[in-house]
Amino acid sequence: MTKTTRAGAGVSRYLRLYRVLSQALAEGRFGAVGPLPSEPRLMREYDISRSTVRRALGRLEAEGRIERRRGSGTFAREQRGESAASRDFRPVLDTSANPPAAEVHRTVTFRHIPTPAFLLGDEPGFGATTLHIRQIRYLEREPVVLETAYLPEEIGGGLTRRRLDAEGGAILSVLVSLGHPSASLEREFAALAADPLAANSLRLDVGSPVLNVRTRARDPQGRMLAHVNGFYRPDQYEINVAIGGGEAGRHRKGKRSNR
Amino acid sequence: MGPTRHPQRTRPPRTGDAALTSRRRNQGVARYYRLYELLSAALQDGTIAPESALPSEPELCARHEISRTTVRRALDRLEHEGRIVRRRGSGTYARIQRAVPRFCLELHAFPETMAALEARTTATTLRFGPATVPEALRAIATGIGPAAYLIERLRCNEDEPLSLTAAYLPQPIARRLRSRIPSRASVMTMIDRLGPPMTAVNCSVGAIAADAAAARALQVPLGSPLLRVRAVLAGDGGESRAVLESLCRSDRLQLKMLEGS
Repeated sequence: MTKTTRAGAGVSRYLRLYRVLSQALAEGRFGAVGPLPSEPRLMREYDISRSTVRRALGRLEAEGRIERRRGSGTFAREQRGESAASRDFRPVLDTSANPPAAEVHRTVTFRHIPTPAFLLGDEPGFGATTLHIRQIRYLEREPVVLETAYLPEEIGGGLTRRRLDAEGGAILSVLVSLGHPSASLEREFAALAADPLAANSLRLDVGSPVLNVRTRARDPQGRMLAHVNGFYRPDQYEINVAIGGGEAGRHRKGKRSNR
Repeated sequence: MGPTRHPQRTRPPRTGDAALTSRRRNQGVARYYRLYELLSAALQDGTIAPESALPSEPELCARHEISRTTVRRALDRLEHEGRIVRRRGSGTYARIQRAVPRFCLELHAFPETMAALEARTTATTLRFGPATVPEALRAIATGIGPAAYLIERLRCNEDEPLSLTAAYLPQPIARRLRSRIPSRASVMTMIDRLGPPMTAVNCSVGAIAADAAAARALQVPLGSPLLRVRAVLAGDGGESRAVLESLCRSDRLQLKMLEGS
């Protein structure tokens, strides 16, 4: 599931500093209009040259996110749309993965392919061919999610692109309407470096962090209904979950939620 | 269900070859690194199946319009990471091994998996003292004022860092913890043991780029992707007893959740 998270080599120093500062600005860590650390301080802290620091600040300035005042320093400018539209994974299975209503989806790929080897290996349910769907979801015209889904032919065979689009592209609710509600959902969360496909789909730099959620939906017999691999823009999404507290969780066996 | 109308300003996504040569967003990213990420993703998702051959070097050069040196550099890095083998006179092949992190936290069985992690790893306290709670954390934890105690801990498996956790606690709780954090238990477990029992832990999981401090502690290059887990520990009355932020290396620590049976 994981690939290496080494994003160091191959990505220039200025770009790495840019990413860190960009993230801090989006989170309001310098305050809405507050000063950023001085150039000498950034040089010391990150062990980089003045020209590298200036290049990173130059890009932020070009993007209108900071303001450099001569003799005074560098200041944050009011950030737009910094609040993450955080998705809530509620413990209700059939609706849990519906995209927010504000999102618009676009189906980029919808075709039947020979089942990829990684699905044949450890996933009971997949036959020789598989329905391969790739979608990009947009929030206010910005791409925020790239999702790749694989459905076994037996499950996805009757699905058409039109029907998927009519249901807003939500794979898990389409499964319900196809008569295959999920009995269990297994999710893996990871932070990955964006590969060129994810980067271009989400308008990010190659190698910048993305939130990866891999979902395996199964029927009551444990057969795979869908394997969904989602890449979420981390400035737009975080995933909320409620888990049981330590001792409290131990007393009550199994899954807990405070809802 | 949301509107299905297409956004007005849609651009066809670049896939495959076009993705690599796109110049728009690749300022600052080396060409070899772009090919490396492309192959890396294909190896990871099985598009290039284990044991099957990768495209030959001349093919990669032609397809992506890059030099042989660039192609070799990308392949060198994959080989160095043990993900491909190059056989002289025969070609380059994907290796079978799938790197799965050794440690896993399952959110649906949190106490059990946290206990297992605590038993197999150790933590060192980097900081313990009064500190200001960052605004982002104060916003999610009602009842924790700006002045609190910070306990910063680095969890390692032998000498490999897994996660860096900053926990902010009200002073009275911190005082009681002071003398009794053993090297294995997590702050969360310790607070829980102090009682009264906690009712819930609300988490949000996101991805961030490692800043200077995180990169140093977790031994990753600056800007590397890290999982960020923010958690609010709530007591019986719904009051926040601590708020914490944990930065995890996804290559070493897996985070999972199972819903349903």
